[in-house]
Amino acid sequence: MSYNIPEKLRFKDTHEWVEDLGNNTYRVGISDYASKHIGDVTFVELPELDSSVEAGDTECVVETVKSSEDIFFPVSGTITAVNEDLEDAPENVNDDCYGEGWLFEIKADDSKAFNELMSATEYAAFLEEQE
Amino acid sequence: MKKTPLYEAHVKLGATIGEFGGWEMPLWYKTGQIAEHNSTREHAGLFDICHMGEFIVTGKDSFEYWNRLLTNKISRVEDGQAIYNFMLNEAGGVIDDCILYRYNAEKWMLVVNAGTQDGDYEWLKQQAFGDVKVENIGPETGKLDLQGPSAPKIIAEVAGKESIEEMKFFRFIPDFDLGGKKVILSRTGYTGEVGFEIYCDIDDTAEIWEMLLDKGAKYGIEPCGLGARDTLRLEAGLPLHGHEIRPDIPVVGTPWEFAIDRDHDFIGKDALEESEGDYFSYAVITEGRRKAGDHSKVILNGEEIGILTSEILAVSLEKKPAGYVRVEKELPEGTEIELLNEKGRSFKTVTAATPLVKGTSRKKMAIFLD
Repeated sequence: MSYNIPEKLRFKDTHEWVEDLGNNTYRVGISDYASKHIGDVTFVELPELDSSVEAGDTECVVETVKSSEDIFFPVSGTITAVNEDLEDAPENVNDDCYGEGWLFEIKADDSKAFNELMSATEYAAFLEEQE
Repeated sequence: MKKTPLYEAHVKLGATIGEFGGWEMPLWYKTGQIAEHNSTREHAGLFDICHMGEFIVTGKDSFEYWNRLLTNKISRVEDGQAIYNFMLNEAGGVIDDCILYRYNAEKWMLVVNAGTQDGDYEWLKQQAFGDVKVENIGPETGKLDLQGPSAPKIIAEVAGKESIEEMKFFRFIPDFDLGGKKVILSRTGYTGEVGFEIYCDIDDTAEIWEMLLDKGAKYGIEPCGLGARDTLRLEAGLPLHGHEIRPDIPVVGTPWEFAIDRDHDFIGKDALEESEGDYFSYAVITEGRRKAGDHSKVILNGEEIGILTSEILAVSLEKKPAGYVRVEKELPEGTEIELLNEKGRSFKTVTAATPLVKGTSRKKMAIFLD
């Protein structure tokens, strides 16, 4: 199976993507690989706006017909935005995982954790090992 | 891992592949599990079920053999009829659940689950006595399930309306001509909807798959993966081996008591009588939009009384979380209980009657052919 892996994004080994929006602010979603493997998304429990979060923790759940998937914060910081449109259109996570299906944004203290995430090329190699 | 003859066809259709019982199987295709589920309830779904196992048993003592090995009332089954059964161990646990097909008093087919078939074969051989011969035809047998209210029209399109219009629930036609291919056409299934399980020569599987998708296109057929199979069967009130029914739990107090005939002697019967009242199984429907999750405990008045054995979002019930629990207390329908998941989060759920969704499986064939 082939997967869409945009060059400009970085990836966590638990299949979250992270986009650098500048100013140490990052947008997070789940990868094409993840959206295909968890199946139809029916509900997303988003983290609380303005809450501070730790990298590796989870306060976000993507619910599918068969499973509940924890979404892990890729960096530490403060939640500055959540994608409220997912309340009415959770299927956006499947249909447009890198666009309308984004989950939340985090403002981090610095760019260190982001830079340690996998590049698109590294993530592609990581997926090949997984298959 | 094993692959069915349709593996390449699934990949071409954009299937997401997952592991089930040692097989690489399609979980869903491009349209997704919800669309596949709805297509089966409203139109038709086609499922690759080649991973399941089939055995032929012949011989003069085979009727006695099945009476000893299986729980249901085999004596009421006529030639050309099938019957759902449990095959128990001495402790009353379920080695497997299976469908027994009677060709005649001396020839039968047993259809079993994928992950359990090797153990089943050993058990069947070990229990054989007198004139009983067990043959494993699984490796040379393909199996496709065509399910949904348009399924009869699709078969009629290929084989003619008169070939099936009199066919009743749990009956089969052994030498059915399906577009030039010899198959066993069985009016059975795992979805709660009217439909067929089709057994064929393994080498004909791909051709029949293509033919049914082609002829079914105008009726809105969708290829369906194991994801939709699971949501459909759970709504239809059917158990999944390894979850609701298991080798290490005596099968007492379940909604599937209809498969156990207490008027004949079978392996495990004494253990069932001794275990009566130890366990009770119920369907449950949960509040909200989130499932409790695997390994959740069942709590009643602060006391842990059992576990959640399966859980899905019930697509045909406005995507409410639904599942089955196995508990140590008898609970009336409508009892509110609590599911406590591994993260310590609690969900309110209520026991419900099965099936959760009443499908078309038992309706007269003729009404689907007009």
